[in-house]
Amino acid sequence: MWDRTGPLESWMHETMNCRKVKETVFLYTDNEMDGEVLISFREHVSLCPKCERYIRRMEVFLTHVRRCHRASAPDRLRRRILTSLPHRQA
Amino acid sequence: MAKATQGENWGWDFETAAMPFVDSLYNTAYRMTRNAEDAEDLVQETYLKAYKYYDKFQEGTNFKAWLFKILKNTFINSYRKRQLEPLKSDFAEIEDAFESQVSDEVLDKVKDPEQELLKDVLDEDVQQALEQLPDDYRMAVILADLEGFSYKEISDILDVPLGTVMSRLYRGRKMLEAEMLRYARDHGYLRSGRPSKMRSRPRR
Repeated sequence: MWDRTGPLESWMHETMNCRKVKETVFLYTDNEMDGEVLISFREHVSLCPKCERYIRRMEVFLTHVRRCHRASAPDRLRRRILTSLPHRQA
Repeated sequence: MAKATQGENWGWDFETAAMPFVDSLYNTAYRMTRNAEDAEDLVQETYLKAYKYYDKFQEGTNFKAWLFKILKNTFINSYRKRQLEPLKSDFAEIEDAFESQVSDEVLDKVKDPEQELLKDVLDEDVQQALEQLPDDYRMAVILADLEGFSYKEISDILDVPLGTVMSRLYRGRKMLEAEMLRYARDHGYLRSGRPSKMRSRPRR
């Protein structure tokens, strides 16, 4: 695996394989991958149905997490914050 | 964002800039403290500190990220329960929960297995699974997936290198997926028996 001591690019480019795709899948799904790394990644995935399916799985999983309900700040908290700000007390 | 530098507009300027983020900050505080009362206190403390240090905020940089950094620091200093060091983050140690729990039979039969499995996982299951993650992983997942921050922004908020953001996100999401699949197991798609545990050990 990438030991984070050298450049990610050279590690990725040496030998792209299914394991590396798995280890870097979230860089891809998060749009944090670019340049040579992205090219090697895409090249491998276009030829490997197993990795293609794996990426699809991760995308579905992330969609589930991202649509998770968000708690809204209660009105009393907004009031509490506003009344505690010094300029409102001046 | 234009920032008042002095005078009577100072406070009103802060209020206009900062209050739109109260829901985001509260949601994160709630997921981190796991209870409404602490979350409210944590957010209020965050606002008071942000107000106090507003003149230190560098105009042109990300104000939302700056507020989240204050929230994170306040959480660590005042609310985080004493706990073991984070679990060792090692890609190689993480089993693929999906592949170890889902039979090949199911994978062959179902066209879109993850979709099929997760459709029965309720929103509250996702929330519960999220709450069970260790603090460091939970914070990274919340910042990325609920608040949409980039890796660079998360690195700034958490004061950790990019590689650490990557490994916390990787591990946090894999743990989350394993937990969500545990809920899905009840719906009959997964192999019977206990789900295989992720191999991890506290750092010494």
